[in-house]
Amino acid sequence: MESLQRTTVVALVVVSCVASAALAQTRKEYRYTVGPNANISVDTQFGAISVKPGTNSQVIVIATLQSDKTEVDNLQHGNRIEIASHLQAGTDQQSGRVDYELRVPADATLSLRSSSGPLSAENLEGDLTLEGSDAVVDVHNMSNGHVHVSTMGGPITLSDIRNGHVEISSISGAVTLKSVTGPLVRANSGSGRIFYEGDFGSGGDYKLTTHSGDIEAIAPADTSADFSAHSIRGKVENDFHLQPHHYRFTPEEGRSFFGSLGKAASKVVLHSFSGRIRLKQR
Amino acid sequence: MTCSDVDRILPDIIDGASMDGNATSADQDFELQSHLSTCPDCSELVSDLRLIAGEARQLSDTDEPAPRVWVRIATQLRAEGLIRDPELPGLRTVVATPPRRQWRARWLAPVAILALAAGSLLLHQKTTSPVTPQIAKQPLVQQPETPVALPETQVAQQPASPSNKAVAPTPRSSQTAPEQAEISPPAGIDDQQFLSEVSSRAPSMRAAYETQLQAVNNEIRETQAYIRQYPGDMDARQHLMEVYQQKAMLYQMALDRIQ
Repeated sequence: MESLQRTTVVALVVVSCVASAALAQTRKEYRYTVGPNANISVDTQFGAISVKPGTNSQVIVIATLQSDKTEVDNLQHGNRIEIASHLQAGTDQQSGRVDYELRVPADATLSLRSSSGPLSAENLEGDLTLEGSDAVVDVHNMSNGHVHVSTMGGPITLSDIRNGHVEISSISGAVTLKSVTGPLVRANSGSGRIFYEGDFGSGGDYKLTTHSGDIEAIAPADTSADFSAHSIRGKVENDFHLQPHHYRFTPEEGRSFFGSLGKAASKVVLHSFSGRIRLKQR
Repeated sequence: MTCSDVDRILPDIIDGASMDGNATSADQDFELQSHLSTCPDCSELVSDLRLIAGEARQLSDTDEPAPRVWVRIATQLRAEGLIRDPELPGLRTVVATPPRRQWRARWLAPVAILALAAGSLLLHQKTTSPVTPQIAKQPLVQQPETPVALPETQVAQQPASPSNKAVAPTPRSSQTAPEQAEISPPAGIDDQQFLSEVSSRAPSMRAAYETQLQAVNNEIRETQAYIRQYPGDMDARQHLMEVYQQKAMLYQMALDRIQ
C-alpha cells in the first residue's frame, strides 16, 4: 500500500514537471508573402532548423522557444527574410534553445546557421548554405541548387543531390555522400571520414580530400570516370581495373593510382595526407 | 738647351763627372751651364746627382750594392719619368707571359663554359620543377620560391623518399621524432587572441573552438614538417593550402557567431 502511494506521488511529480516544461515552451508562427527566388536566412545559436517545401508564394516559420529568456527577431525586406534568435544575458544552451521549422517555396535561397543543430533540408531546388559547429547536417533530395555545408565537428550527410554545385568542408566531421552528382562536388574533412556511394554522374568534377580521415568510394561497374587517387602517407586500394593513360604523374605502388573507367565522363580526385583511400566496386 | 735636353744627357753628365768631369762636349757643356744658371730645378737635380756620384766613389768594392738595388732605382726613376728606355721604331713591346699565367688563361675558357652550362641547367630545373613526376620525392636541389627550402648540404644528405623504401607505408600512428616535436601545442599569438575574443563574447563556445583549432594547427604542423623533408612534393603543398583554408573557415565561423 505504501509502495503504491509512493509510486503515485512520483508519477504525479513527473507529470507536473513535464507539463511545466511544456508550458514553458513558447510556440510562435510567422508568415511572409514572397515572390520567386526568395532569400531566407535563419540564425540560432542553440536549436534545430528544418526546412521543407511549401507553397510557391508563402514562407511559414514556426519557432519553438524553450524559455522566456530568448526572443525571435524577424525582418522582411521585400523578397528577403531574416530570422534570428536573440539570447539574453545568462542564457545557456538549454534555456537559449529555439527550434525552427520552415515551409518555403522550393526555389528559395536558404542560409541556415546553428551551432548545436541539427540542420536539415529536403525536396528543394534553390541554393542552400548550412553552417554549424557541432550540428548534425542532413540534406536530401535537392536538385539544381548549389549546396554549401560547413561544420567544425558535426557530421554531414547528403543524399540524392543533383545538378548543382556541392561544397562541403568540415574540420573533424564525417561526410557521407549518397547519390550526389553534379557539375562540381567538393568535400573536405580534416580528420573526419568521407564516404561516397554513387556513380559520379556524367561530366562532373569531383574532389574528395582529407588530412587523416579515410576516404571510401563505392561505385558501380558501369561508372564512367577518370580517377586520380593519392595518399601522401597512407595507403590506397582499388577494386577496378583502370585503363592507364598518359598522365603527368607517375603512380606509386600502394600510395596512388591513376586511370579511367568507361568513357571517363567525370573527373574524380581522391587525395589524403595520411588517410587510407579505397575505391570499391559495388 | 731645355730641361728635356738636360734629362736626356743626364747620365752622360753624371758619368762624365764621375770620370773626369768633361764627358760632354765643350759646346754642350756651355749650353748646359747656361741652362743650369737659369733653371733652378735642373741645377738642383744635377747638383744632387753629382753629390751622390761623388759619395759613391768613396765606397769600396765590398760596399757595392747588389745589382738588384740598381734595378730598383732604375725602376723607380722610370716610374717617375726621369729616365726612359729608348724605343726602337717598328717594334712593339711584347710582354712575355710566364708559363703559369698562360696555363691559367688556357683553362679559363672551358671553366667559363662549364659554369655557363651549369647555370643554364640550374635555371632550367628551377622552371620545370613544378611538373616533376610525383614519384620523384627525392628533394630537389633547386626549388622555386619554397618557403621551407633546405640548404644544399642538408638536401644532399636527406634520406630517400618513402616511395623508394622496401618497407610498408608508414602507418598513421608512427611518426618520426622531429615531426612529433612539430605536432604539439601551443597555438600562436593570433590564435590566442582569437580564443580570447571567443571567451569574452561566447564563453560557451570556447572549448569547441579551441579543440578544433588545435586539430587544424596539428594538421598544419604535420604537413609543414613533411614539406620541409620533401620540398618538391606539390601535392603536399596543395594540401597545406587546403588545411589553411580550413583554419580560415574556422575563424570565419567564430567571427560570424561572436559579432
